[in-house]
Amino acid sequence: MTDERGPDSINASRVQPERLEPLDPVLQALDPDRGRPEDVVCSQRLTLSFGPKTILSDVDISFRRGTITALIGPTGSGKSTFLRTINRMNDKVVGFRRAGDVTFDEQSIWSTHHDVLTLRRRIGMLFQRPNPFPMSIRDNVVAGVKAHRIAKGKQLDVVAEQRLREVGLWDAVKDRLGDSPFRLSGGQQQLLCLARALAVGPEVLLLDEPTSALDPVSTEYIEALLATLVPALTLIIVTHNLAQARRVSHQTMFFYEGALIEHGDTEELFTHPKQADTERYVSGRMG
Amino acid sequence: MRRMSPIRRIAETARSHEEGVWQVAGRVAVLLPLAALVFAVSVLAVKAYPAIRVNGWGFLTGTKWTYGGGYALPVHTDGVAHPQGSSFGALTIITGTLQSSAIALIIAVPVSIGAAFALTERLPTWLSRPLGFAIEVLAGIPSVVIGLWGLLTLGPILSRDVYPIIGNHMPDVPVLDFFRGTPAATGQGLFTAGLVLGLMIIPIIASTTRDLFNQVPPLPKEGASALGMTEWEVANKITIPWVRSGIIGASVLGLGRALGETVAVALVSGSAIHFAPNIFGQMTTIAATILTQLDGAQTDGTGFAVATLAELALVLAVISVLVNLAAGVIIRRTSALVPSVGPT
Repeated sequence: MTDERGPDSINASRVQPERLEPLDPVLQALDPDRGRPEDVVCSQRLTLSFGPKTILSDVDISFRRGTITALIGPTGSGKSTFLRTINRMNDKVVGFRRAGDVTFDEQSIWSTHHDVLTLRRRIGMLFQRPNPFPMSIRDNVVAGVKAHRIAKGKQLDVVAEQRLREVGLWDAVKDRLGDSPFRLSGGQQQLLCLARALAVGPEVLLLDEPTSALDPVSTEYIEALLATLVPALTLIIVTHNLAQARRVSHQTMFFYEGALIEHGDTEELFTHPKQADTERYVSGRMG
Repeated sequence: MRRMSPIRRIAETARSHEEGVWQVAGRVAVLLPLAALVFAVSVLAVKAYPAIRVNGWGFLTGTKWTYGGGYALPVHTDGVAHPQGSSFGALTIITGTLQSSAIALIIAVPVSIGAAFALTERLPTWLSRPLGFAIEVLAGIPSVVIGLWGLLTLGPILSRDVYPIIGNHMPDVPVLDFFRGTPAATGQGLFTAGLVLGLMIIPIIASTTRDLFNQVPPLPKEGASALGMTEWEVANKITIPWVRSGIIGASVLGLGRALGETVAVALVSGSAIHFAPNIFGQMTTIAATILTQLDGAQTDGTGFAVATLAELALVLAVISVLVNLAAGVIIRRTSALVPSVGPT
């Protein structure tokens, strides 16, 4: 249904991917995250089932603040379910049961400390396919801002422009902010959704195969954009695209049959996998 | 070449003409409703013509409705014979029609959307299936049954236990004083008529809206939840806007039924040809008037009374067409921001 206009308005060369470098001491002093726990999200012996079916068993892992982590594994390995647990999207699934815990800023995401709406403001999400809301392009960007009453009135226009510029969509849409988002190309729609997710100021962004429905040029552009979001944000990306995991992430976690088989530095995991299953998967002999 | 049996040959010929036959049949089928509409309206117009000429614009603006006559000889106006002293101003009837349908819509639309939302989003399947079925069954109950129930059961109960609470305690200030008043013991009146009409159109709007909600793709709704919107906000910003044009269409379908509903309204409205003095006051509608007055009108030897009722029917047809045209305009405006085809 999306009208593929091609990525004419997306200029992939404008955003250069950049590896996370250690900050110099001056910048370190200015780092707003200094003094905060290094692990932003931790899963502690998380076991999760829907009805009689166990989806995840005993997942024990933490995500370092300001990094990009890729979750890889064959279909049905539980990586998407794990991702959707972090912002509590699974709570309402019929038969949802859990053991163990997931913490965000050292507090269980299910504790009363975190109200689910605020949790989702702080942990944003981008989906497999672009999912614009049935409202104008501008209103899409500020939908969450309005819901959380972060800004109002004229400020909303400022927020919309700032976020659209941040994802490089401003020039393409500035003359049609009142138009329907559904006339944008698939890549542009996904950027709009990214702008919308960023607009509420999340600390963590969950990405569920964000480029699986996009063409290679849009994919490359979005990957480059993701690299610019760290270390301000912590990104967790589920992907079926091994090359993508290798390109964008600092750490990689390999899921297989509901268990976290192996995790570690991305380059290390791809070049020297320790487990046989990991080796088979990353070498393309499984999945 | 192999010889074909005659029957086989006919079959083959028919096969080769099949497409043409379907095309003709399709065109006939498409044009049939239009032809029926044009035919019905023209017959009405022809029948109503003498009344239109004599009653003039006063038919739409006047409030006096009397057949006159008695034993006096008919008189002629513009060459049309009509009973002496007859005067037909239908403004009260037209107003009653619009008022009762408006009340019906005000009650039915929110209830239907709420019911559809509960059926699709909130209730477990074992509950939503039978409830959905019940709503569809409700749509099939004959209007005379609902009307009789309204007259014998609902009206008296409301009149005794509910209406006085509102009617006796509303402040006597403009607008709100319309809700002050003493209902008839039977409960017959504007509000009961509107309520019964509302109950009759809820199944139409609710079942259509439920089907529409089921078509909303899950991904935008999930996106809204993941952004930290409440369930109410998701419904309000995503689900309802996604199918808004369809809900308007369903509401117009319901409104059409409310405007034209006859027997039920005739039973619970009080069939009084004057403006309802307050929301509990007796009144009537176009369709109910035609039903209740046709018998008497046929005793008018000049045929003018029947022509007047035909004019009334014509007015109802015009109102229905106008409502549908207005809905078309609204739908075109509201669907501008929603994807035109298929899910995203």
